[in-house]
Amino acid sequence: MGFGVRINQFKEGDTLEKVLDIKQLSKKYGKKTALEGITFSVPEGTCFGLLGPNGAGKSTTMKILTGIVEADQGTAIILGMNSNENRLAIKQQVGYVPQSITLYEDLNAYDNLLFFGQMYGVKGSQLKERITRVLIQTGLLDRAKDKVKEYSGGMKRRINIAAALLHDPKILILDEPTVGIDPQSRNHIFDMIRSLKEEGVTIIYSTHYMEEVEALCDEIAIIDNGKIIIQGNLKELLEQHSDKSIFIDTDQIEILKQLPNVNKVSSKDDGWMIESDQPIALLQDILATCTEQGIEIRELEMMRPTLESVFLSLTGTSLRD
Amino acid sequence: MMLMSIISKELKIILREKGNFFFLIVMPIFFIVLFGSIFSNTNSSFNVPYIDLDQSDSSKAFLSQLNGIDGFELEKVANEQNHIDQIEAGNSSSLLVIQEDFEETIASGIAKARLKFYQDPTATQVVAPINAVLENIANAYREQKLSSAMRQLGLTDTETESILMPPINIEEINTSSTQVDAITQFVPGYTVMFVFFIMITMVRRFFKEKESGMLSRMQSTPVKPIVYLIGMWIPALISVLIQCTVLLAFGRIVYSLDLGNLLAISIIVICLAICSTGLGLALAVCVTGENQGLALTQVFTMGGAVLAGLWFPFELLPSFAQTIGQFTPQYWAQTGLQDVMVRGALAGDVWQGLLVLLGYGALGILIALSRFKQYIRSAIN
Repeated sequence: MGFGVRINQFKEGDTLEKVLDIKQLSKKYGKKTALEGITFSVPEGTCFGLLGPNGAGKSTTMKILTGIVEADQGTAIILGMNSNENRLAIKQQVGYVPQSITLYEDLNAYDNLLFFGQMYGVKGSQLKERITRVLIQTGLLDRAKDKVKEYSGGMKRRINIAAALLHDPKILILDEPTVGIDPQSRNHIFDMIRSLKEEGVTIIYSTHYMEEVEALCDEIAIIDNGKIIIQGNLKELLEQHSDKSIFIDTDQIEILKQLPNVNKVSSKDDGWMIESDQPIALLQDILATCTEQGIEIRELEMMRPTLESVFLSLTGTSLRD
Repeated sequence: MMLMSIISKELKIILREKGNFFFLIVMPIFFIVLFGSIFSNTNSSFNVPYIDLDQSDSSKAFLSQLNGIDGFELEKVANEQNHIDQIEAGNSSSLLVIQEDFEETIASGIAKARLKFYQDPTATQVVAPINAVLENIANAYREQKLSSAMRQLGLTDTETESILMPPINIEEINTSSTQVDAITQFVPGYTVMFVFFIMITMVRRFFKEKESGMLSRMQSTPVKPIVYLIGMWIPALISVLIQCTVLLAFGRIVYSLDLGNLLAISIIVICLAICSTGLGLALAVCVTGENQGLALTQVFTMGGAVLAGLWFPFELLPSFAQTIGQFTPQYWAQTGLQDVMVRGALAGDVWQGLLVLLGYGALGILIALSRFKQYIRSAIN
């Protein structure tokens, strides 16, 4: 396996441009194609969002990256190691948080963490220290001796994540880690992820919630029907692929349609959506016109570009469909 | 390290599950106590309802003789016809009536004294022993009569005894060092039977690991599949060892069961544990659903218990059932335990049984190993 040799490739202080580089990865379950030649890469120290609807192939991608599933074709280079040849070494540097809560409900949180830490080969005082650290990170130190079955869904999710952190992974892969939890727990998880990112851990975050990707991720890839539709920097993608627009609720839309820089006007909810290449200039014109002519404005808002609109423009369907 | 951690975790889960405690310890103790109490109760006796119409010294002497026999108790009845009606209705099985001329007829020595014995022909198990005892008493009266006639003819006591001496003498010799009783049948019997219920525990645990996604998650850790499998197996093995220790100790403490050579018993228990958990391992990774596993375990444990003679002595089974029973691991475990407990056997004396148990265990482990990759794949997909 050459485990030791590979590990030596990454010395303290080394920097990598890409911690993950996958090329033409394909996977079929029987006759059903789960992944069809997907290619993307993840820069070190970023939070990378893999966004797509349910059944798009996100979980299969995550499972291939963590060595749970073997790809039929393609290569995955993780931390400079080929995933097919260095599975054990990769597992020791990658933390995986599955979509389902996989904890022993009859054991307490401490025993669960002790177990997972030992599964990653951590032991002794080092393990105890790390358990205490992750319990602090999750905010559950005072509940450590309670059985997991007595926890709320959000608390279980936090311990589920903590179980993947005990071996100090360089990459943390999270597969829909916030499914079915309350906003408070979600915020706690977001804080944990931001904190890990600050510590230099590369995060790969799979979700079908656009808001989560927008809140957490720097880089994203959008996956649909087993194919990567687009990949890149979140801000750049939003800039490139979403229409800039202004929302206005007024009865005098016909007058505003005549203003310069108006590309398209369409109705939305109780008002109108005005698309424009120069939204700031248009906003100023709208305000001036309405003041001069005494037009009543009930609501006026500069619309932020969203991933929903990016997904819509690329696939023609809504992400939530 | 990883192996010890899996074992420790699994033991905690198995020991905390109340269902396991119930199936592996409480249920067998309940059955041992229940059947032990029923079948080891030697106070059971046959009731002999009677009416003495003669009320003479001879009739009283006859009844006193009958009452003096162990296992028979006289029950005076008031009305003959009423009791006959009871027999016909199936509420009583017999009635002995001593006729009014009983003493007179015996004294005359010419005619036979009459006893009426009403009986329910369907209750042969109860009636037959009473019939046999009455025949014996009648024979004793005849011997007495013969003896007195021979003496009157001038024969000496020795000559009379010699003539009346039965030509065949049956000598009863117990070959076992300890008596085989209900306890030496049921304690090892129910221990062996319920040991195989560990298969249910194993099926449940494996399915829980699979369905919760834990088995899949384990694949993302550096743990090797073989380490995981051994880690899941050993706690079941330890559970069976604890179970056998508790049940046999219960028999020893509560019923003063003679366990025989403890080393031999321990070796049989270890082989039995390997056998039951090896088969449990195979079952857990082969069945497609938890219910299927539970059903197969029930068939195996119940069917095996009957065919292996765990519920009643193996010798009472029909010959075809005995032939099939010898292929069950339960038979070899029960025979081995009873050989050590009752017949004073040592481990070397029961080597065939030990080999059979280990063979079954090894077969189960080999099947589990060959199917485990497929099992993991089914858990991941």
